[in-house]
Amino acid sequence: MLPLDIAFWVMAAVGVATALAVVMEKDIFRAALFLVVSFLVVAGIFVLLNAEFLAMVQVLVYVGAISILIIFAIMLTRNAHEGNPFNSFQLPALVLSTMMLAAIAFVAVNTEWHDWDQLGLQVLPGDSGEVFSATEQGIKNVFGNTTQVIARLLMRDFVLPMEAASVVLLAAVIGALALVRENEGEA
Amino acid sequence: MSLIHFQVLSAALFSIGVYGVLARRSAVMVLLALELMLNAVNVNLIAFAAYGEQVQATGQVIAIFVITVAAAEVGLAMAIILRLFRDRASVDVDEVDLMKW
Amino acid sequence: MTLHDLYLLSPELSLASLGMVVIILDMVLRRKGVLAAVSVVGLLAPLAFSISLWGDLSGEPDGQMVGIFNTLVVDKFSLFFKFLVMGIVALVVMSSVEYVSRLRQFQGEYYGLMLFSASGMMLLAATTDLISTYVALELTTLPLVALAAFLRDSRSTEAGIKFLLLSAMSSAVLLYGMTLTYGFTGTTQLVEIFERLGASLDATVPFGSHALFLGVIMIVAGFGFKIAAVPFQMWVPDVYEGAPTPITAYLSVASKAAGFAIILRVFYIGFGEISLDWAALFAVLSAVSMTVGNLVAIAQKNIKRMLAYSTIAHAGFLMVGVASIAARVPVGETTLGPSGVLFYLVAYAVTNLAAFFAIIAISNRTGSDMISSFAGMGRRAPFLAIILAFAIVSLLGIPPTAGFMGKLYMFSAAMKSDLAWLVVVGVVNSAISAYYYLKVIRVMYMVDPEGEEKIHVAYAPQAALYITALGILALGIFPGPLMTVAEKAVAVLFR
Repeated sequence: MLPLDIAFWVMAAVGVATALAVVMEKDIFRAALFLVVSFLVVAGIFVLLNAEFLAMVQVLVYVGAISILIIFAIMLTRNAHEGNPFNSFQLPALVLSTMMLAAIAFVAVNTEWHDWDQLGLQVLPGDSGEVFSATEQGIKNVFGNTTQVIARLLMRDFVLPMEAASVVLLAAVIGALALVRENEGEA
Repeated sequence: MSLIHFQVLSAALFSIGVYGVLARRSAVMVLLALELMLNAVNVNLIAFAAYGEQVQATGQVIAIFVITVAAAEVGLAMAIILRLFRDRASVDVDEVDLMKW
Repeated sequence: MTLHDLYLLSPELSLASLGMVVIILDMVLRRKGVLAAVSVVGLLAPLAFSISLWGDLSGEPDGQMVGIFNTLVVDKFSLFFKFLVMGIVALVVMSSVEYVSRLRQFQGEYYGLMLFSASGMMLLAATTDLISTYVALELTTLPLVALAAFLRDSRSTEAGIKFLLLSAMSSAVLLYGMTLTYGFTGTTQLVEIFERLGASLDATVPFGSHALFLGVIMIVAGFGFKIAAVPFQMWVPDVYEGAPTPITAYLSVASKAAGFAIILRVFYIGFGEISLDWAALFAVLSAVSMTVGNLVAIAQKNIKRMLAYSTIAHAGFLMVGVASIAARVPVGETTLGPSGVLFYLVAYAVTNLAAFFAIIAISNRTGSDMISSFAGMGRRAPFLAIILAFAIVSLLGIPPTAGFMGKLYMFSAAMKSDLAWLVVVGVVNSAISAYYYLKVIRVMYMVDPEGEEKIHVAYAPQAALYITALGILALGIFPGPLMTVAEKAVAVLFR
């Protein structure tokens, strides 16, 4: 086993375990902390996949900002979390999510993703899992030039969704402010 | 290690998230589970990007949009959850009854 | 990005800017009544740009202008929805005037968020790649979430959180579906998806491949949420009930129109190769939505909840048109499906808006949304009652109304596409719906009123009522012109 394979398996195991802990944990504060670990592990997976810029974004935005926001809200509403944390849909939810897992795994195994070959796209040699994997290829290129590629894509090819996303953020901020600010004269 | 490994990992995270969204009562917990689902989407996207088009990296750009919109969603959700708490000192989605007909 | 790209985007840009202008004006102006006027008059800018773009299209050989690195397309299809969304926004703003004057703060934000959401809808109908589609969808939804919770009472907040959590979940499912599609084709551009699918489908598997099978189902689930189709409708009744009534009206028509716009574009253009497969899916969803929506509506006592279930049923009627694809039509004939959907959306918009506007005006005075509180409105508010009754007749689909023509187009499209069973389901459902629709009319005219006080309506909402009622009648008697425009608009879907 290559070191990279070991890294993948360790991270996958920790990622799934913490994700399970998030949804099973009774104490909401601890669930949020497990979620932070899960975010970090996913960032590690991104590095394995040669997406170091995304890994940084993941750490900054998810671990740094979103988690803090959620934990902050949990502290503010702390005494509101009592009683049975699960609703009455536990069994159907379990069945549905298991079916979903099975379906996606089935699709992942059975789809011929190699179709890209015929489509004339660049496919890495490791795609069939033989000679060397994309991960190895990826690790060679770590801290390569993906940041530049992403920047060009964001500011050029995908400038429309980027502008739209800025309006989304603006609308969310305005909406959130209008909702949490107290009315004048109200307590 | 191949594309399939990453896809199954993503599927696992996604399904765990689905379970959490459907089975938990507190709005905050549902939100945590939603973040898991979105993370699963990102793992899937970046796996496709890594194994497919090294040069284009479109998958990574999509992931950035997913993260951005998720941040906006969380911000708005927190505002509403605080509102909910002020109104009734509870954030259980259950009284909110997510599946009521 | 060139100046021409900005011109192509100008309707959306000017609409979003208008939203910001309204919010800024709210900070400096004392008289808040101006805000609604600014919102309506300001719509003239995007309207002018859209008209100008429509004019420019005649010079284009293939009837479309593509811009901003192939992520945006201006064609008659997207412009049709731009006009529709602008019309709906103008009417909803007019009807909100009285309702919003009760809010002491954030009136500017109310109109501003509505305009942001509208710019998202316009963008949604014009995007040609899945990333832009996703972002535009969120731009449509997030402001609406804030608006649903805008009343700040417990029911409205509940509506907001429910809407947000369920819509975020549906977005995640939609994204997963898009991801699988991207993984399978290696692109997010609809046209490229179409081209690459043509080369790589496996005829022995439904939908041509396992990835697409799951991916398309997930995309349908994500969009199905936006158009309120069963089984993705669980948010609808509570959100409709809790949200401010003008927002409910807006949600029920504009959000649905934008949802169908993107469904038609993604499925007809991106997944055209596997149309037989997804059309079957939509046919089933259509039958289920109609039946569930109508059956549950019977039991409702709150008129907003009743209309919520009615909107689910109408999503079912609209999906009949989506399912009536060209591939099922005999050679040499064209399908009425997509153009029928466009017509139905306009007809449903005027009808449902008329109903909601009358309800807003009445419940502003009575302070109740219960159907029983509409007792005797035939005497207390003859003008409102007659318009509400007329709108209900149109929802039911009785001539000479817009709703009747809409259903007629839908069902004839289905007949052409060999979907007779769906027509039977639809007709049976129309009959069922008569039960709960006519109940409202009976309460208004046959039951004695609780009070004798007359109900008066301010000028702006009154104008909105006249316009929508006139629209119902006009489309019911002269459907031809709109149908011609709709047929021109959907031409880009069949290339």
